Amino acid sequence: MKRRIRVTHPLLWLSLLVFVAPGFASHQRQPQDSEAVRDFKPFIARVQAYVKMQKKLEASLPVLKPTKDPAQIVEYQQALARKIADARRDALQGDIFTHEATERIRRIIHRSFEGPEGHLARRTMQQDTPFKVVAMHVNDAFPDNIPLTTTPPTLMLKLPELPPGLAYRFVGRTLVLKDIKAELVVDLIPNALP
Amino acid sequence: MPTMRCSVIVTCVALAALSLPLRAQELTLPLKKDSVRFAVIGDMGDGTKQQYALAGQMVAYHSKFPFDFVIMLGDNLIGRKNPADYQKKFELPYKPLLDAGVKFYATLGNHDVSNERFYKLFNMNGQQYYTYKKGNVRFFVLDSNYMNPQQLAWLEKELQNSGADWKICYFHHPLYSSGAYHGSSVELRLLLEPLFIKYGVQVVFAGHDHVYERVKPQHGIHYFTEGASGELRKGNLRKTDLTAAGYDQDRTFMLVEIAGDEFYFQTISRVGQTVDSGMIQRAAKTAASWPKVRPGQGGSPDRTVAKAVGVKLTGAPPAAR
Repeated sequence: MKRRIRVTHPLLWLSLLVFVAPGFASHQRQPQDSEAVRDFKPFIARVQAYVKMQKKLEASLPVLKPTKDPAQIVEYQQALARKIADARRDALQGDIFTHEATERIRRIIHRSFEGPEGHLARRTMQQDTPFKVVAMHVNDAFPDNIPLTTTPPTLMLKLPELPPGLAYRFVGRTLVLKDIKAELVVDLIPNALP
Repeated sequence: MPTMRCSVIVTCVALAALSLPLRAQELTLPLKKDSVRFAVIGDMGDGTKQQYALAGQMVAYHSKFPFDFVIMLGDNLIGRKNPADYQKKFELPYKPLLDAGVKFYATLGNHDVSNERFYKLFNMNGQQYYTYKKGNVRFFVLDSNYMNPQQLAWLEKELQNSGADWKICYFHHPLYSSGAYHGSSVELRLLLEPLFIKYGVQVVFAGHDHVYERVKPQHGIHYFTEGASGELRKGNLRKTDLTAAGYDQDRTFMLVEIAGDEFYFQTISRVGQTVDSGMIQRAAKTAASWPKVRPGQGGSPDRTVAKAVGVKLTGAPPAAR
């Protein structure tokens, strides 16, 4: 027998007003948020699928524990990179950064760099080593002999959160989705910086 | 053959340490009972003879000031990171210290790769950011290359939960720096400093700029840049209103002793010259209090190249750069 729940108690109404109304109001004020969620949904799903594959391939290797032998670390990284590159041998630029996500990320970066606080993000990157032009492709090894450019922390507050094992990295003007366990280029957005 | 080459290099480090003039190796630290003792190095992993010479100086000082551990401020392995590079840029220069049981606790710099966290001798236990405790001191080690929301949330939780007397943070990029090449990481400062103030961090170490600098207390927090333990940008320190003391003429490392409410430090050059020293008194936990800095603890004036200057004990903090 179905029972209909009727909201009659004044306290119940009050709690609805307290908890639901603000969310509704902010939803009304920021219609772009739902568009962002829509645009990022396939990107996030692909990131999750990548991490699932990464974990599966990792499980096929001996577990990397802290070791005094640096050869083990290097070998593990290279073995994982080979397995991932093999599993994604047909991967193309844009497979994970979907078109919609790419456009939205570009807009977020532009706003971050050209907005009132943009000088801070620009300075964060410029105070590292001058931008180097390094040609990059999906499944390339991320170069270990060039210094990292700091990913502006205020920008990271605006981009979709990544699971551990992946990171946003700038190389020159290119935004790279980097596998930090395999030191591999997973995907990239060229000319992401304004 | 590599074994023979290794022993030759280690012997060179030991000889370099022994041949240093004794007069240069003056210790200004009090060596108090049960104190926490450590050394600080940054931007050291270039594998050059200068790195080895500074490591030799650390070995020489270790016999006078037996520190238990070393904190590494990043750029642990500059350039290539083949297994041989771990040897050349870390294991060999610091072998006498490693053999003596000294532990090294690393953070990642912009020249490092994140898989260095699995290298046991860096004591990162597979973590990009982590915390550990020594006596009454809690250390918070951050990855300033990638300050994402997860790391900020972790830091806040750890700071909040820590009841240690001393809270010390270290990471690669300096929040305040008068180094001409990089300078202050202002954006990072906007995110980190409010947490440091809120949860009572007293001392912050960073590297990145290849000079030594002690910054005047900012909001009661003492900031040190030690980025010249291998790499050096000679003459690159543009002393500003921020600078309490600085040195950019040679490689340096720091020795620190924490005894109760007192934090003693001594900064030493490659030739054993004391270029800065002093003591920081832990302040009572009130927002308005300012820690005191007493410069030149025991160092003879002619050897103290840079001394604490103009530290205000009251009033507003110096304007941020």
